[in-house]
Amino acid sequence: MIHMRYLQLLKLASPEAVVVLTALVVLSIGLLAKRATFACAFVAGLGLVCAIVAVLLLPDDETLFGGMLVISPLTSLFKITCLALAFFTVLLTGGEKVPRHPGEYLALILLATVGLMLLVGSEELLMIFIGLELLGLSLYVMTAFDKTDVRSAEAGLKYFLFGSTASAFTLFGISLLYGMTGTTGLAAIATRLATTSIQPLLAVAIVMTLVGFAFKIAAAPFHLWAPDAYQGAPVPSAAFIASGSKVASFVVLGKIVLIGFAPAQGSAGWHSMAAGWSPVLAALAALSIVIGNLVALAQSNVRRLLAYSAVAHAGYTLIGFVAGTREGFSAALFYTTIYAVTLIGAFAVVGVVRRETGGDDFSNFSGLASRSPALAGSMAVFMLSLAGIPPLAGFFGKFYLFSTALQAGTNQALLWLVALGLVGSFVSLYYYLLVLKAIFVDVPSLSGAESMRHAPSDFLQCATVTVLAAVVVLLGVIPNVLASRILGAVP
Amino acid sequence: MYRIMTPTLPLVLIVSAALFSIGLLAALSRRHAIFILIGIEMMLAAANLNFIAFWRFAPPPHPSTGVMIAIFSIAISAAEAAVGLAMVIAVYRHYRTTNVDEYDQLKG
Repeated sequence: MIHMRYLQLLKLASPEAVVVLTALVVLSIGLLAKRATFACAFVAGLGLVCAIVAVLLLPDDETLFGGMLVISPLTSLFKITCLALAFFTVLLTGGEKVPRHPGEYLALILLATVGLMLLVGSEELLMIFIGLELLGLSLYVMTAFDKTDVRSAEAGLKYFLFGSTASAFTLFGISLLYGMTGTTGLAAIATRLATTSIQPLLAVAIVMTLVGFAFKIAAAPFHLWAPDAYQGAPVPSAAFIASGSKVASFVVLGKIVLIGFAPAQGSAGWHSMAAGWSPVLAALAALSIVIGNLVALAQSNVRRLLAYSAVAHAGYTLIGFVAGTREGFSAALFYTTIYAVTLIGAFAVVGVVRRETGGDDFSNFSGLASRSPALAGSMAVFMLSLAGIPPLAGFFGKFYLFSTALQAGTNQALLWLVALGLVGSFVSLYYYLLVLKAIFVDVPSLSGAESMRHAPSDFLQCATVTVLAAVVVLLGVIPNVLASRILGAVP
Repeated sequence: MYRIMTPTLPLVLIVSAALFSIGLLAALSRRHAIFILIGIEMMLAAANLNFIAFWRFAPPPHPSTGVMIAIFSIAISAAEAAVGLAMVIAVYRHYRTTNVDEYDQLKG
């Protein structure tokens, strides 16, 4: 059993190894040349592209050390997704006002990416916990990275305190699971759980394990960090928290509940509630949809609005897991991928507006349509996609998600959750349109227009935003490109 | 002559549950950032105690999984403490206080 073949391990873990090496190289470039922002970003981007190629070269199916490292079509697909999201985040850093230590910042993004890949590519609780912590610790530091800004440090500390409390819950839950099953591999846990009924201790273990993931996906009532982190963090950090971290957490949450806890599913149907993880997730979903949408109505800062809408979207995505079927899982993954692409684009626009006007309230967005039509048009695409307007990707994502949830279970048992999701979507249209009203209708105040520095918007930023908007439109027109691939990869 | 109580699994689990609860209480009720950090560390220590106990009292052919996890998680909680202290210092430079109630730039 101990005869591990190190060369084989190195081959199978090559994408992670490439990213770690790139992080070290970027760190040393940053150490040698203090202001080499461009060189660092270039090397980081190159490393991420190399890692994507390395993922493509991996074999189809391989499992090492009882699930610690799993290579399957699903893990490869989402490793590529995470790397691509990290690549766009690196592009966003190019436009930021030069941070004091660009090398360290980019190295942190790369280390967080390794955390994402470990999370996605593992079906063993210890590795998942290590990935979770690697991701978390990198994100806390990335949030607090702007040392000159009070709000960045404050957001970092709040994110850290909530995050480490949640991960302590998860570790305690994992320890109870280990005690009851004697193993930490997800598949092995499932076989042990199949022979036992749900005891109180098992229920405690499941709920505690889920707390850490509910925190990571910002599901209510574990969402309190999200508005502060989204608003206070540097723009690329916020974009990465909202996209990469979410996607990987949903993948691993899905694997834990659908593979590991499969025998303890229970039921969340309106007339057929039964104990298990499914009613827990249903409660989280319902609470997130209600709280996220209602609180978002009252926001006047675009980043806080995106944060509360993120809570609501986490709720919609959880509906797919509650359905508990293969289609439900793939619908949830499709939805969260589209959501991640949309949010990176939205944060890129926020970044440009923030640089030009010095803030990110609604008033800072007024007149964006006349200043920069391309950015305004892209923002319209992102907001309407988040609201779920037909030709865009967000509509198809929601349609797919809600229809699979309706089909799951007998007698449309999840109708109550789907109805809640639909009402939530109607409410959300109002606040997304508020953002668009500020962009297209409101006239900027005179003082605001004068104080505006007429720096030409960075070409790279505009190109990035346009590409992301094009992706959102394309995935809305031909969603099958991604949806069939995800459905085919889900076991 | 003292009779030393032999530790049994339920006894250790009660201790670890108590440790976790005390840590959680500290994390939730304290206003001082460092005390919150100490509370979180106690919660992690409770989980480590669980891992060791479950490994020690497992039926005979016990693979060393529990110990391995405990070692890893001790290293992780050390890293977490380092990041947490750095974060407290970063905030202290701006506010000149460690009372988390006074951090009020972000709200809503």
